[in-house]
Amino acid sequence: MFVLDKINREEALRYMGWRGRQPDESALAVIDECEKALIAAAAPRYLYRRFDGVVIDKDSVTITEAGIRLRGRSIAEHLDGCESAVLMCATISSGVDRLIRRYQSTDMAKAVITDALASAAIEQVCNAAEEEIDALFPDEYKTWRFSPGYGDLPLEHQGELLRVLDAQRKIGLTLGRSTMLIPIKSVTAVIGLSSSELERQKRSCACCTMAKDCKFRKTGERCV
Amino acid sequence: MNAVFRRLLKEKEFILLDGAMGTMLQSRGLKTGEIPELLSLTSPELIIDIHREYIAAGADVIYACTFGANSYKLAGSGYTCEEVIRAAVSNAKTAAAGSGACVALDLGPVGRLMEPNGDMSFDEAYNSYKEQIIAGADAGAELIVLETMTDLSELKAAVLAARENSELPIVCTMTFEQNHRTFTGVGIGSMAVTLEGLGVDALGINCSLGPDDLPPIIEELAKWTNLPIVAKPNAGLPDPNSSEYDVDADGFAESMEKLVPYGVKIFGGCCGTTPEYIKRLKAALAEKRCVSRGEIKISAVASGENVVTVDRPRIIGERINPTGKKLFKEALKTRNIDYILTQGIEQVSAGADILDVNVGLPEVDEKEMMVTVIKALQGVTGAPLQIDTTDPEALEAGLRVYNGKPIVNSVNGEEKSLSTVLPLVKKYGAAVVGLTLDEGGIPKTAEGRFNIAQKIVERAVKTGIKREDIYIDCLTLTASAEQDGVMATLDALERVKRELGVKTVLGVSNISFGLPNRELVNRTFLTMALQRGLDLPIINPNSEAMTGAVRAFNLLSNIDKNSVEYIAAYNDSAPVAQNAKGADNAPDIIYSIEHGLKKEAARATEELLKTDDAMEIVNKMLIPALDKVGAGFEKGTVFLPQLIQSATAAQGCFDVIKRRLTATSKTPVSKGNIILATVKGDIHDIGKNIVKVLLENYGYTVFDLGRDVPPELIVKTARENDIHFIGLSALMTTTLKSMEETIRLLHAEGIDCKTFVGGAVLTPEYARQIGADYYCRDAKESVDAARDFFSKG
Repeated sequence: MFVLDKINREEALRYMGWRGRQPDESALAVIDECEKALIAAAAPRYLYRRFDGVVIDKDSVTITEAGIRLRGRSIAEHLDGCESAVLMCATISSGVDRLIRRYQSTDMAKAVITDALASAAIEQVCNAAEEEIDALFPDEYKTWRFSPGYGDLPLEHQGELLRVLDAQRKIGLTLGRSTMLIPIKSVTAVIGLSSSELERQKRSCACCTMAKDCKFRKTGERCV
Repeated sequence: MNAVFRRLLKEKEFILLDGAMGTMLQSRGLKTGEIPELLSLTSPELIIDIHREYIAAGADVIYACTFGANSYKLAGSGYTCEEVIRAAVSNAKTAAAGSGACVALDLGPVGRLMEPNGDMSFDEAYNSYKEQIIAGADAGAELIVLETMTDLSELKAAVLAARENSELPIVCTMTFEQNHRTFTGVGIGSMAVTLEGLGVDALGINCSLGPDDLPPIIEELAKWTNLPIVAKPNAGLPDPNSSEYDVDADGFAESMEKLVPYGVKIFGGCCGTTPEYIKRLKAALAEKRCVSRGEIKISAVASGENVVTVDRPRIIGERINPTGKKLFKEALKTRNIDYILTQGIEQVSAGADILDVNVGLPEVDEKEMMVTVIKALQGVTGAPLQIDTTDPEALEAGLRVYNGKPIVNSVNGEEKSLSTVLPLVKKYGAAVVGLTLDEGGIPKTAEGRFNIAQKIVERAVKTGIKREDIYIDCLTLTASAEQDGVMATLDALERVKRELGVKTVLGVSNISFGLPNRELVNRTFLTMALQRGLDLPIINPNSEAMTGAVRAFNLLSNIDKNSVEYIAAYNDSAPVAQNAKGADNAPDIIYSIEHGLKKEAARATEELLKTDDAMEIVNKMLIPALDKVGAGFEKGTVFLPQLIQSATAAQGCFDVIKRRLTATSKTPVSKGNIILATVKGDIHDIGKNIVKVLLENYGYTVFDLGRDVPPELIVKTARENDIHFIGLSALMTTTLKSMEETIRLLHAEGIDCKTFVGGAVLTPEYARQIGADYYCRDAKESVDAARDFFSKG
């Protein structure tokens, strides 16, 4: 069971725009306060399941055992050489949405800080899930986790991933009308498994549809 | 009324429910991702067989395979909700024929999260359940089961749909986690007092945990309800990868048997259980007797998260009320919901247990505003609400969407009031404030008020409202005008409490009207009333003297054991020096804004207003200071949280200026009116709110329409308020379409306006393409756009 007891501060500061510099003492005090409140409000949960029967086409991937077909060239490239896939999802709970919402009414600066901290936190939850998956299937090679919205993998697939994993019932994760995950700080992803060594792809801006216009990237930062 | 289930309740020692349907279907080849409910139509024999196995194992109630049979989940399946439900109920009835088993229409969550966490409205949830319930009742279901629920407001929508569209009994079970809350934070007590108020037949727990985790949850539940309790847990905990459960049939039966002493009446199994589990369970319970729980009588109200019991003085915060408050009225007119939320949050942090909500103003659509404010408040605070209105429509609308058990403020002794308000209180399971006045006004004597109280209590009890849910207000009169009436109020209060056995409530602040040093009179009166038995003082909790008096009373009357709460409230209240500069050398406005010091900025403004003109201060100090910070933000030397802190400090200045101007009845400072909205389908509104803070503190008046805003509302607001500058935000690629649609509609409707747009995935090219007039990369650029627009007049 994953316990969120500390937020990756460096990552959160990057999201807030503190490019490598340190915030001053009064800012730090507020960040500490927000981190404490976030940890108290968060109930991180994740879910994953391995499925066999990955069939790669040029512009789609069928995961037979899960009964789903993922569209797009980028997921086909990503899972190239994989026989199986792990579908996963994670959330830090609607308690965090509520906390950020409350701050938005009372103290917008805290809302922004907490939002950044929560983004860092959900990454940590995903990393914890991935470590567990690594340990569970030690003999296979794995791709990094690829999410709907990366490359040309449509966001619409999030709904299927949630259904296959029974995510609403098991961790309270659902999809909103506009393919937005709810609670907001949540992730769905696909990890490929292969018995033979994979060409080491790295997660990078290259596979992101926003690469050209990304404001974060223009400041010299990277979110991956 | 269908009697099968109620007869079972009466005649059976224990009622046995069935076990899992999904688990059985998976073992018979249901593939991951397939919709199990469709098997009712494609393989009815398979479903009938499973039902029969459960009946043979001893189930008194079988759940039809309808859990996810709603229009949302069936979309694209080629079948309608009605077809699937009809087939499923019919299969269950076929299986049950001749066995005496009761067939339940089994309904789970819709599959989308409700507002404010998600984007499903109360009405959407209600209509989804309504469709299922009409189909199920028509097909012959004998019971409605609402299970695996995690959101109390969704469950309330479902219960109301069931009550208003069928006469079937209702059983509700929610899913709790190890922390004794559901995924959306609902507490056990909140569930129990809310559902019992709504008149369901049984309630309890299903899914979530294994049977070994249930005793503490059931024990807690039994503290809050007199209804039969249901336990239908999973077969232990699932393996995360294989989804197999870790408790076998014998282990399950053994653990379930341990729930008998807690008074559980209805037993069954959820995920991972099979007919074998039910068979063992039946055997384990065969020799047991159902333990009868003593009747509990509690006065309690609840939000989705918290229960507040009225077993000691509890503070009702009075500040959400426009009466005599210019800024509050202004906020209602401009739909500044954030202002109202701030009032709520402030009161709760000051010590309010319950919040009174009054949004009545002649120019405002009270019904719509009540719903908006209640929804917004319950999204940010866990304090139960008291719905304060004289408009029965606004009252009912508020009662419907309230996620918990509220207080209704109020009913009085007039026949018209009794006959309209009390049935609503009963239907929605609320508590009610009864005012001791009637057609003849407020009686002068204690005796007169007692008599009206008695009449109200009798009528309420006759309507089916429990005595514990009636709170009588003996009415505070103004001491300066009717000095001899003060004791009459207190005498009546004491008598009502003693002789009628109900709780008492009193608005305190009126007592001192027209007197100097009002707080002293208020506090003294409050203390006197508490001593006479006042349970619910309605006060301004932000007044430390008042909240402090309640705390001290609780300490002195031995309610606050070991002074724990008192000490917690005051132990570290020694003022901390916030400001390094001395009082003589207080920071000026510019320094305060640049450093994000809100209080200091406000103080400096107070000082300056003694000598300088308000607009002068805004233009020569506030805005240049904000500009300096904004320039730093653009260069990257100031970070977003700091920019916002500076804007918030400027807000401190503006508040002071506004207060001053409204006090002297001058027009408030405004550089222009702007509409802001996060477009339809999008609920991530933090970006829009940042823009709002900045714009407001540059002196613009913002009409914030919130998130997930339909284009039509934007058009309507622009037209009605004559606004020509409109900001739209969208976070998702999928909601950019709504942005485009909104701009299209504004133009099509002939609204004379310019639009400015922003959002994470928006690009300048796309903004141009959809016809936006300004593309704003960040909040600072929104201010630039507003300046540009309004400078052109």
